[in-house]
Amino acid sequence: MGTKTGAMIQTVSLGLLSAILYFLLYYFNETILDWSKQGGWYFIVPISIAFIFSLVHGTFTGHFWDLLGVKAKSVKKRG
Amino acid sequence: MGLLLCLPTIGWSVAQEPQAQPSTLTNSPFEPANPKVETLDEIMLKISGMTGDIVWKASKGEILGSGNEITYIAPGKPDKEIITVTDATGKVATLTFEVGGFLELHLKDILFLFIVGFIGGLVSGFIGSGGAFVLTPAMMSMGVPAIMAVASNMCHKFPKALVGSIKRAKYGQVDLKLGLIMGISAEAGVLYGASIQTQIKEAFGDVGSNLYVSFVFVVVLAIVGGYVLRDAIKIYKQSDSVGAKEHEITKLARWVQSVNIPGTMMYFPSLGTKISVLFTIPLGFATGMLAATIAVGGFIGVPAMMYVLGAPGLMASATELVIAFVMGMGGTIKYALDGFVDIRLAMVILAGSLFGVQLGAIGTTYVKDFMVKMVMGVIMILVLFSRGLKVPVYLSEMGEIEPLSETTISILNYTSFGMLIFALATGAIIILYALIKGYMKHAKEEALAEEFSIAQATTDEEVETFPASAIQLSPTGRLKNVLLVSDKSEASRGAESEAIKLVQRTDGRLSAMSVLMINPEHESLARQLIEAEDNSSIAHLETVQKSAEKAGVNCDINIRHGIEIYQEILEEAERKQIDVIVMGRRGYTGLKRLMMGSNTAKVIGHAQCNILVVPKFAKIEGKRILVAVDGSRYGDIAANAAVKMAKYLHAPILLVSVVQSELKEKRHIETVEIIKRVESFIKQEGVVVEAQILSGRPAMSIIEIAENKGVDLIVVGSHGRTGLDRILMGSVSDRIIGYAQCAILVAKA
Repeated sequence: MGTKTGAMIQTVSLGLLSAILYFLLYYFNETILDWSKQGGWYFIVPISIAFIFSLVHGTFTGHFWDLLGVKAKSVKKRG
Repeated sequence: MGLLLCLPTIGWSVAQEPQAQPSTLTNSPFEPANPKVETLDEIMLKISGMTGDIVWKASKGEILGSGNEITYIAPGKPDKEIITVTDATGKVATLTFEVGGFLELHLKDILFLFIVGFIGGLVSGFIGSGGAFVLTPAMMSMGVPAIMAVASNMCHKFPKALVGSIKRAKYGQVDLKLGLIMGISAEAGVLYGASIQTQIKEAFGDVGSNLYVSFVFVVVLAIVGGYVLRDAIKIYKQSDSVGAKEHEITKLARWVQSVNIPGTMMYFPSLGTKISVLFTIPLGFATGMLAATIAVGGFIGVPAMMYVLGAPGLMASATELVIAFVMGMGGTIKYALDGFVDIRLAMVILAGSLFGVQLGAIGTTYVKDFMVKMVMGVIMILVLFSRGLKVPVYLSEMGEIEPLSETTISILNYTSFGMLIFALATGAIIILYALIKGYMKHAKEEALAEEFSIAQATTDEEVETFPASAIQLSPTGRLKNVLLVSDKSEASRGAESEAIKLVQRTDGRLSAMSVLMINPEHESLARQLIEAEDNSSIAHLETVQKSAEKAGVNCDINIRHGIEIYQEILEEAERKQIDVIVMGRRGYTGLKRLMMGSNTAKVIGHAQCNILVVPKFAKIEGKRILVAVDGSRYGDIAANAAVKMAKYLHAPILLVSVVQSELKEKRHIETVEIIKRVESFIKQEGVVVEAQILSGRPAMSIIEIAENKGVDLIVVGSHGRTGLDRILMGSVSDRIIGYAQCAILVAKA
C-alpha cells in the first residue's frame, strides 16, 4: 500500500466519522436542544459534544488540506 | 433556569385608535396575560372585554382562527412579539412579549453559518486572532440573541484551545503558571461578565443585551482595528527593513517588572523574572470580562502579556491558550447552566472554521507581514461599522430615542448585514488571492529546483562507474544521493555526522531536511508558530550545512510542513531520487514504540530506497560490517548493499544467517547453501568475508554477535511490511533497529 493511498484512507475515514457525528447531531437535534435548554447538569451535553466534534473534525481538516497538497511554504537553501 | 430564556419583558397595553372613544382597562384582557413562548411554540390566546368582530394581528408570528380565542404560532426566531387586537368599535389591545428559545435553522442558515465559520476561521488562522469578531455579529445578524451568540461562540472555541495548549506545552512554549494565574482571574472576569449579560437580558430583554454587546464591539474594534491599521501602514513604509523582529521588552513592561510589592511577587518562567500578581490579576479579569461580552478575550490577553508583562510573543500566544481554555470552559458551563448554548450553531461554525483556520495559517507563509495586519485592520473597521449601524435600531426598540420608521430600520438592518458580508468577502478574497498567488509562485520555483536536481543527478550517474559484477545479484547499491533527516534533537546527532561522512566517502550529494508538523487547531498561534519553528529549524540545519562544508561536502537544506512526518520524508526522497535516507533513532522500545509509532519505522516500511538508522552515539568506522541473509531476495539486496559499503569503508564483512532453534535440524542444510552462495559473491567482489550460522531468535542473535564481534554497521533487508501486518508479525529488522547499539542499514534498493 503506497503512502498516498494510506493517507487517503485515513483522511476519508476521518471525514466519514466526522460526517456521521454531524448526521447524528442533525438527527437528534430536538432532543439535544431540549436537554441544553434545561440547563443545570445538562450543561455536560453541549460541552461533551464540543470536545468530541473538535477532536474528530480538527484531525480530519488537517489531513484534508495536506492530502490536497495545500501546505505551508517549504524553505529551501542551496549549499 | 431554562425558562429565563423566554419572556423577560412581557407586558400588555391597550391603546385607542384616534377616532375611537377612550376606554380604561385595569386588568389584562388577555389570557394568559404573560405567555411564556419559545420559537415555533403553539399556544391558545383568549381575549375578553371586546365587542363585535375581532381582528388579531401578530408582528412576527402567525394567528390561526378567529373570535375571542385563537391559536398563536411563534416565529422561528427569538424576537420581540407584539400582538394587536382590534374590535368592531375600534378598541385596540396589545400584548407584548418575548419569544425565547433557539433559532429555527433552515438549510440556508446552516450554509450561511458554515461559510461564515470558514471565513471566520480563515481570517483567524491568517491574522492569528479570534474570528469571534466576525462570528458573533454574523450569528446576531441571523437573529440569534447576543447572549446565545456569545455562548455558542465560546463553546466552539475552548476544546480547540485545550488541544492546542497540550501540543504547545510539549514544545515548551506554555507558561503554565502564568496561564493558570491569569486563567483563574479571567474566570472571575467571565463569571462577572456573564452575570452582567444575564442581568441586562433580564432587565432589558434581548434588545438590551444586543445593544450592550454591539456597543462593546464598536469600542473594542475601533481601538484595536485602528491600532492594527496604523501598525500595518508603519510596517509597509519601512518595508525595506522588514525581517524577523527580535523580542523587545517595552518600557511599560520594564517598569512592571521592576515594581516590588512584598508578599505578591511570583516568578514566571516566560518572563524570566518575578512580578507582582497585582498586575496579572486585573489583566486576567479584563480578558475574561471581554470574553464573556464579545467572546474575544485574546484581544486583551495576548497584547497584555507581551506589552505589559514583557512575555515573548510566541509564549504569550501559547499561554493565552491555557487562559482561553480555562475561561472558555468556565464561561460555556456558566452559559450552559442557564441553557444559553446552542450547540448546533457552535458545531456548524466549528465545521467551517476548522477548515478555514488551517488554510489561513498556511496562507500566512506566503505573504508579507504588513498584508496580514492590513487584512485584520480592514475587516475590523468594516465589522465596526456593521455593528455601529445597529445601535440606533436597538436604541429605538428600547424606546431610548425617538422611534425610527420601519423603512429606516430595514435600511439600517440591510446595510449592517451587507457590510458584514462585504467585510467577510473582502477578507476572504484578499487571503485566498494571496494564498493562490504565493502558492503558484512557490510551485514554479519548486519545479525549477526539481529540474535542476534531476539534471544534476543524471550528470552524476554518467560519471559514476559501477563495479561490473555488482549488477549480477540485482541492480542495486547506489549510496550516493543522501537525504539526512534531522529533528534538532539529540537523537539526530549521530545521523548528522554519519550522513556527512557517508557523502565524503561516496563523493555523493547531501540534502538535509526537517519536517515541521503543522496542524493548528487554535488560531491565535498559527502564524507565530510556523514562523518560530521555521526559524529555529533553519538555524539548526544551517549548522549542519556548515559542518558539511567544513568536511568539503555541499549540502542543500530544506524545511517541509505536514501532518504526517514520514510522508513528507518519503515525498522528498522520491522527488530528489534519493539512494539512502539517514535518520536518527528515538530509542522507544516495547509498548511505547507500539503505541507511539515511530517515524523511522514508518519510513522503513514505506520507502523505496535504503535507510541508514544511526543511534545517537553510533559511529561507522569500518571495523566490521554484519550482513544478515535468509535466502530471500531481500537478503540478496542486503548483501549487495553490504559489499558496496565494505568497499567504501575498506571493512571486512561478517555474513550471518539465523536458524530458529526448533527448526535447526531441518533448516541447517538449506541455510548452509544460502550462506555459501552469498559468501562466494562477496569474495568475488574482493571483500574479506567470514560466514557464521547462528541459532536462536533472529533479532537477538544478530544483536548479540554484532556486539561481541565489534561490528559497527549491520545491514539487513526489509520485507516492507506495513500497518497491521507489521504490528502482528513484527519484523526482525524492526527489532534490530530498536535494540542495536550500532548503525543499521536497511537495504531496500
